[in-house]
Amino acid sequence: MSCDVASLQRHLEEILGAEHVASDPGSTARFSVDGVVPALIVRPGTQDEVAQVVSACAAAGAALVPWGGGTGMGMGNPPEHLEVVVRLDRLDRIVEFDADNLCVTVEAGMPLGRLQEMVAGSQELLPLDPPDSDKVTLGGLVAANQSGPRRLLHGTARDWVLGMRLVLPNGERIRCGGRVIKNVSGYDMNKLFIRSFGTLGIITEVTVKLLPMPVATATVIGVFPELSGAVAVVEKVLASFLLPEAMDLLDQAALKLLPPALGLQASAGNFALAIGLAGSQETVDRQLRDLEALVSGGGGSPSTFREMDAKKVWAAITNVLEMAPPDPTRVVCKVAVPIGRIAGLMTSARVRAAEQDLAATMIAHAGSGVLRAALSPAPASPDGLSGTVSAVEALRKEAVALGGSLVIQEAPPGFKARVDAWGRPGSGFATMRRIKAEFDPRGLCSPGRFLSGI
Amino acid sequence: MAHKVFVEELRKIVGKGNVLDSDVNLQLYQYDAYLEERRPDAVVFVHSTEEVARVVKLCNVHGVPFVPRGGGTNLSGGTIPLKGGVVLEMIRMNRLLEVDTANLRARVQPGMFNLELGNSLAPLGYQYLPDPASQKAATLGGNVAENSGGPHCFKYGVTTNHVMGLTVVLPDGEIAEIGGMAPDTPGYDLTGVFVGSEGTFGICTEVVVRILRQAEGVKTMLAIYDSIERGSETVSAIVAAGMIPATLEMMDQLVIQAVEQSIHCGLPLDCATVLIIEVDGLKDDLEAQTEAIVNLCKTHGAREVRVAKDDAERALLWAGRRGAFGAVARLSPSYLVCDGTVPRTALPVVLKKVAEVGKKYDLKIPNVFHAGDGNLHPLILFDWRNAEQKERVMKAGMEILELCVQLGGTISGEHGVGLEKMDAMRLVHTEADIRSQLMVKRAFDPQDLANPGKIFPALQEVASVV
Repeated sequence: MSCDVASLQRHLEEILGAEHVASDPGSTARFSVDGVVPALIVRPGTQDEVAQVVSACAAAGAALVPWGGGTGMGMGNPPEHLEVVVRLDRLDRIVEFDADNLCVTVEAGMPLGRLQEMVAGSQELLPLDPPDSDKVTLGGLVAANQSGPRRLLHGTARDWVLGMRLVLPNGERIRCGGRVIKNVSGYDMNKLFIRSFGTLGIITEVTVKLLPMPVATATVIGVFPELSGAVAVVEKVLASFLLPEAMDLLDQAALKLLPPALGLQASAGNFALAIGLAGSQETVDRQLRDLEALVSGGGGSPSTFREMDAKKVWAAITNVLEMAPPDPTRVVCKVAVPIGRIAGLMTSARVRAAEQDLAATMIAHAGSGVLRAALSPAPASPDGLSGTVSAVEALRKEAVALGGSLVIQEAPPGFKARVDAWGRPGSGFATMRRIKAEFDPRGLCSPGRFLSGI
Repeated sequence: MAHKVFVEELRKIVGKGNVLDSDVNLQLYQYDAYLEERRPDAVVFVHSTEEVARVVKLCNVHGVPFVPRGGGTNLSGGTIPLKGGVVLEMIRMNRLLEVDTANLRARVQPGMFNLELGNSLAPLGYQYLPDPASQKAATLGGNVAENSGGPHCFKYGVTTNHVMGLTVVLPDGEIAEIGGMAPDTPGYDLTGVFVGSEGTFGICTEVVVRILRQAEGVKTMLAIYDSIERGSETVSAIVAAGMIPATLEMMDQLVIQAVEQSIHCGLPLDCATVLIIEVDGLKDDLEAQTEAIVNLCKTHGAREVRVAKDDAERALLWAGRRGAFGAVARLSPSYLVCDGTVPRTALPVVLKKVAEVGKKYDLKIPNVFHAGDGNLHPLILFDWRNAEQKERVMKAGMEILELCVQLGGTISGEHGVGLEKMDAMRLVHTEADIRSQLMVKRAFDPQDLANPGKIFPALQEVASVV
């Protein structure tokens, strides 16, 4: 699609001031999306300016991609075309913090880490914990539906978002939801925009509910010689009355990436199971006792971490794939299957990686049915990609056969040219396509980034 | 197509005995728990996803509107066939298809009653949390359509937080499986938007729900107050102390008196309000939590706090709460159930103002509500034979919703918009908001055949851009 970039740039400069519109190659290269370099980078300062920017782009026929902390930009297919990246970093204000009602409203560019710091001052927290929590913005977290270990007990963005404001692809501003917990005043539009990956508009404001800060936290990590030992503990915990917040399973490669200060590498073992606890002192102590016994009984060696140490452990575990040394050939995928299938899937992933001579690093939210695997080709592999392509395709086939899915979270552009980031759509796709056509008939919001060309 | 021929086509799909079209029979399907009525042209008993798909396809081909119906307990007119057409009676699709404890999921047909699912899971040690007060007669399909709440939703969330996947028949007759046993299905969250769409996106024929282990322990308390304000202040005080009870329910004097007459659960007739507070979870700290809550109630003016000693006492307390809507029927021939939501801390203010509305319109308004999530249910008593009074009731109801919105809340917490609140939609939504919701409606149902004429007010001629 052709678009008069020079006149669009003038228009955007009128709206935002020249200092918030960049077109120099240095800036545009930094904000390329899967290798596609935008012509312009803009930084609106208010929600209204976002609306004006989107209107201007719509008038010019320019495709745009919203950009928060950039942590989820590895997801999705390369954009079909891209003129403007809309950065939301200046939209980082608190709109309203209603501590008494456990509810906070912030602009979409507010980093999650800053929100947590602020609400912690009132002994509250948002129990969403994706990787890169310092960088990830509320808008990005919601748009990409990013999640972390604590989804076991607390769920995902759809369970915490009460309301949003958005700019639709035609430049109109809308509000959905509100700031009360129960709300059936019309359709639940929050659900439509959560995980819509910027294809239906730009999220400009998010209202989430909060939890009171637990009195006590602790973590048990069991290191096991065999996967089966760790998995048996997972099954027992899920069948018990215990209420852990998180239950993550790490393979040896992931275990090796954890900071040595935690002292886990010393124990001879190939798999680690980390179980996070929070609550009153009584319930945390009781669960620690039960879990240490379960881990020991299952052939593992337990280590216990409390309070700040427990926090450090989870920061390390959550970001374990993000902390690995940079590797431009690496592919990270997220596989989702029914909860009870996660162990089998982890085993298959190991086999697939070995078949293709790939180095694999894996971490699973074992009680939630989510596995993240990082696969890197051996340095000597011929084109650097074929092995990963085969392994990922085989793993995807397996996940789909189990009723699940595999999505790419990070991959070099060459890989994405060969493997779709989302896989084939299931039934109901015709409706999804019509939704996209209703909201974005000209295909200007993140075109081609989402499922099957949406 | 002539009506008779169409009905014959329906009979070919579901069998002769499963289509009703006599006047008497149709009359039974012209109302639900709201106040309006409209007769359908035919009622079809369906037994499988395929049957539903064939009926919907037939409707689609002939441009006939259709409305699914479960227990008919809807309070906002959601199941009234406003434009006639076919009512699909889902009640015979009532089987529990699968309980998969390893995956913490169950697959169930939509005609099963909410309570039946709970009763089926209990012997296995599992539970399905959303528990509307009408759970004996409300079906899971209806719960999905309305995104139903219930007392336990304060801690555990509403229906949408527990529905992981659906099999749906879309308005063109296509059968789609959306969401499912695995989390995070790629693509738009169609399950999430379908829940709460009030039958306007199609018909769900299977529901995949999240099941949870039953709690190890439960403690139920009854706090008795001589002042309704002190009672509602306690609600916020408990949350401010960092506790999230499983339930925080409230009933006022008029409701208590009605409940006591019909259920005899030992509630004091002379108090202003009672709070039913339940904490659940690991048993280790339940005693301590109970003690803390009892103390908070007392410092906030409770004249007495009773702690249920055993399951029988607990069941009695809940029988009282769950029977509240039914019991209030003793007080007057009819009543309008309002359903508004405010931020929890606004409860004392809104209750005072609801009482003022009652005075202004000379109407009795007992209150029973989910205090924890700020969801109030003023019940406006009247006599349906008195047209003038009914008019006052409708005005008072609207004024209460306006109050909720002014205080930062909304026009419906769990009963839906249906027919009742179409005009109130503008209290919380701009024209652009409403247009965006209609875009989703068009994407699901381009011909506007699925439960047409509900939820949305007519769009204003001149679009206002915010």
